[in-house]
Amino acid sequence: MQAEKTQTKAQNRFWRELLDGWMNVLTQPNLDTFRAQRARADPLKTVLGVGLLGLVLGLWALAIKPATLVTEMRTEAILIDLLRMIFFTEADFFIISLLLFFIARGFNGIGSFSQQSYLLSLVTVPLGMIVVAFLFVGEKLGLTLTAVLNPLSPVGVAGIFVILFALYGFLLLLFALQAAHEMQSSAVFYTFGTPLVAWGILRIASMFAAGEENVITTQWAFIADQWAKGTAQELLLGHLWLVAFSVSIAVVLGVTIGVFITWPAQRPRLSHLVILIPLALFLLLWAASSGLLGEGMADQIASTTKDWSRSLKRIDNLYFGPLLAIVAAIIAKPAAVGMIVAVFTIILYALFLAGEKAGDLTLYIAGIILTIPSVALFGAMIKPLGIGPFNAAFALILYAQLPILRNTYTGIKAVTPEIVEAGRGMGMTEAQLLLKVKLPMAVPVIMTGVRVSIVMLIGIASIAAYIGNDTLGQYIFDGITRAQEKRYYAGAILVAILALAVDYFLGWLQGRLTPEGLKGRREAA
Amino acid sequence: MIKFENVTKIYPGMSSPAVDKLSFTVPTGEICTIVGPSGCGKTTAMKMVNRLIDATDGAIFVLDERGDMSNVLKIDPIQLRRSIGYIIQQIGLFPHRTILENIGTVPQLLDWDEARIRRRAEDLVTMMNMPVEFLDRYPHELSGGQRQRIGVARGMATDPPVMLMDEPFGAIDPINRNILQNEFLRLQQEIKKTILFVTHDIDEAIKMGDKICILNVGGFLEQFDSPANILAHPANEFVEDFVGADRALKRLNLVRVEEVMNARPPLIQTTQNVEQAAGFMAEQGIRFAYVVDADRTLKGYVRVRDLKGKTGWVDEFVEPAATTIPLTTSLKDALSEMLVVDYANVCVVDAQNRVRGLIDTNMIHEAVIESAAAAEGEEA
Ligand SMILES: Nc1ncnc2c1ncn2[C@@H]1O[C@H](COP(=O)(O)OP(=O)(O)OP(=O)(O)O)[C@@H](O)[C@H]1O
Ligand SMILES: [Mg+2]
Repeated sequence: MQAEKTQTKAQNRFWRELLDGWMNVLTQPNLDTFRAQRARADPLKTVLGVGLLGLVLGLWALAIKPATLVTEMRTEAILIDLLRMIFFTEADFFIISLLLFFIARGFNGIGSFSQQSYLLSLVTVPLGMIVVAFLFVGEKLGLTLTAVLNPLSPVGVAGIFVILFALYGFLLLLFALQAAHEMQSSAVFYTFGTPLVAWGILRIASMFAAGEENVITTQWAFIADQWAKGTAQELLLGHLWLVAFSVSIAVVLGVTIGVFITWPAQRPRLSHLVILIPLALFLLLWAASSGLLGEGMADQIASTTKDWSRSLKRIDNLYFGPLLAIVAAIIAKPAAVGMIVAVFTIILYALFLAGEKAGDLTLYIAGIILTIPSVALFGAMIKPLGIGPFNAAFALILYAQLPILRNTYTGIKAVTPEIVEAGRGMGMTEAQLLLKVKLPMAVPVIMTGVRVSIVMLIGIASIAAYIGNDTLGQYIFDGITRAQEKRYYAGAILVAILALAVDYFLGWLQGRLTPEGLKGRREAA
Repeated sequence: MIKFENVTKIYPGMSSPAVDKLSFTVPTGEICTIVGPSGCGKTTAMKMVNRLIDATDGAIFVLDERGDMSNVLKIDPIQLRRSIGYIIQQIGLFPHRTILENIGTVPQLLDWDEARIRRRAEDLVTMMNMPVEFLDRYPHELSGGQRQRIGVARGMATDPPVMLMDEPFGAIDPINRNILQNEFLRLQQEIKKTILFVTHDIDEAIKMGDKICILNVGGFLEQFDSPANILAHPANEFVEDFVGADRALKRLNLVRVEEVMNARPPLIQTTQNVEQAAGFMAEQGIRFAYVVDADRTLKGYVRVRDLKGKTGWVDEFVEPAATTIPLTTSLKDALSEMLVVDYANVCVVDAQNRVRGLIDTNMIHEAVIESAAAAEGEEA
């Protein structure tokens, strides 16, 4: 009697401790929790816990089998199915744990196998069960795993949660391993990383060796096919030209504004009236082509520009075609061109006069522009600029302003006052100071800004496909509308490669453009 | 010549002036040091000469190319600045330009051709005791002292008659500063520029200045005079405090060894034998003597006790001299040198290491007493 009672008590304690372990890990996920649990390590708990997970997995497998199949199955068959699942789960778990154990030992781990397995099971078992529960519900709602994981699908947000959850689980595993072996965090990463990388390499190698279809081969095949057809190059060049065209204008504009907002406020002078010439010309262009000076004139301009635009488009050149298309689209809208240039002339002159007084405001506005979602800006500009490259270039130029003008501004401001004073004291004019001292010294900073904005524009230019531009974004939008994964992956991959390649090239260029004397110099405080 | 006439500067929004009715004249070919406590308006006073700052009131005149005194306010500031050498602390070198381009800044602004700029730059770095290879380096590849010399060279690029120097040797260690000061004084003997030299260090002001202009906070001129007079007769308590309690000692800075040394010291020739040398020293009543060769180049010294009872030539017993002093050294530096090596007297040599004289502590003492007496006499 007595013996039986203590036995049940001991059994109760055993189960309670196991449950406690799971709860602790879920509610207090930190290194100390695992350290505390290390003392309670017990092979029996590990085996039982993992077996429980195996049972749940087995039940889930049964539950998602078509109902007719299950009802036809005999009880023994069901039992064997369950036992098999339990066995394989245990085997998988302990084989992986053993592997990790040996690798951990290689990185000077000191824990025992029993401790390590127990701590790992504290993570895998409860999280595994939660995942199974979610999958079960998802399955019942008719959602496939790929649909959940795809951020572009209707339940994309769920995908993000799943990924976060997986990351969280991985983090817990790192804690478990670290607590089991009291090792450095870097060693923990290596312990996990080694088998993962090895597995990945083997997996990819075997897929290729077997000539099996897989994500990589299908993706590769698709891109190769697009390349052979010439579509990929066309979109790539379209993408590059759109960015290149916008950036070259943005750099001139941004650096000019950046320079303007670093110098002292100016008084208007009679000689400033020169700006009236371009202003008048472009206002005239706007007025004439929007019919303010008579319909006849407007028609005439419209037909002329349409002719020019058409003949430009007719030039069939693979490499310069996209650039010609941009120019053609701009020529076709003389009224908008006139208005935009006139407005920018006024803005530039105002900034020229206000000088550093306008600095904060200008940076603030450029910052705000950057926060406008690109789709919204493209959409808003459809009315005045139409769809196509004009609209896209206009938006891209605006977006590129902040990094360029901010870096020009800070780069110039950062030039040591003593150096500027030395130049001034030796008789340099303000213009000479700017061109011979301030700008050369600011070049590295300005180039960083240009680099940032180019990479940013490569991203935004994909979205310009939305308003009918031939950029790599076409693949992404087409892929979504046609529900073709490989198509939007192709778009994303090509955009990423393009951004990385261009950034690398710009890094090299930056090195070449940095004045020799500024290279070796560590920023003197 | 630079002439300040009642120059006042009140910065916008300030109630009190930064420079207050300043009047003094720097004669052509002289260095005038401006010295005073921090914030007393030294830099402000200097920058009004090349119009980096414009005076609120009063006028500043400089000698122009035609030899007339002209008001700087009447000259175009850009033109004015290009015609006046401007030297500031080493930080003022352009880091993105080579030394050649740095030195060539003003010549380039004046459209000199490249060959001429290079020739001038080569002359200047040679004059500054640096190799011409430095011309193709960047400022960060030079030491602080070297950069400082380049700063001076840059200020002299177009050989301007007037130069402004704002704490030009401020950013380097005392030893190098001393070397640079001496180098520059030697140079000034040849180039004879009219220089306004700002410093906050009274010792530097005394050493470098033919005239010193002592300012007090608020830009008020306390005394303008030669260093000797300021040390002998401080105008008021402020100046007395400022030059310090050791002003008698500071006077040592004003006298060069060549002025007080014994120019005909007892010397022994290397060609003499030991008996002759010992006899000579006994005759002179000295226990050691310097040894020179036929053209008076210093070889070292011999001691009576080393020669006692020996025979042979003097050369065998010569010991190298621990130090020598150049002719233009100040008495203060000479004294400190003697204290360092613990010699009673030291050889004064010229640039070729030929012995020109001998100096000992007694001579220095007498010089101090004499200069004090002279100052008293002047006063009387
Ligand atoms: N741009 C300015 N605006 C207002 N006040 C100024 C300006 N420049 C200098 N001052 C003030 O004028 C006074 C003289 O300044 P200045 O720079 O001439 O001093 P300084 O004698 O060169 O000092 P330091 O030895 O510290 O260099 C100081 O009180 C300073 O605060
Ligand atoms: Mg100063």
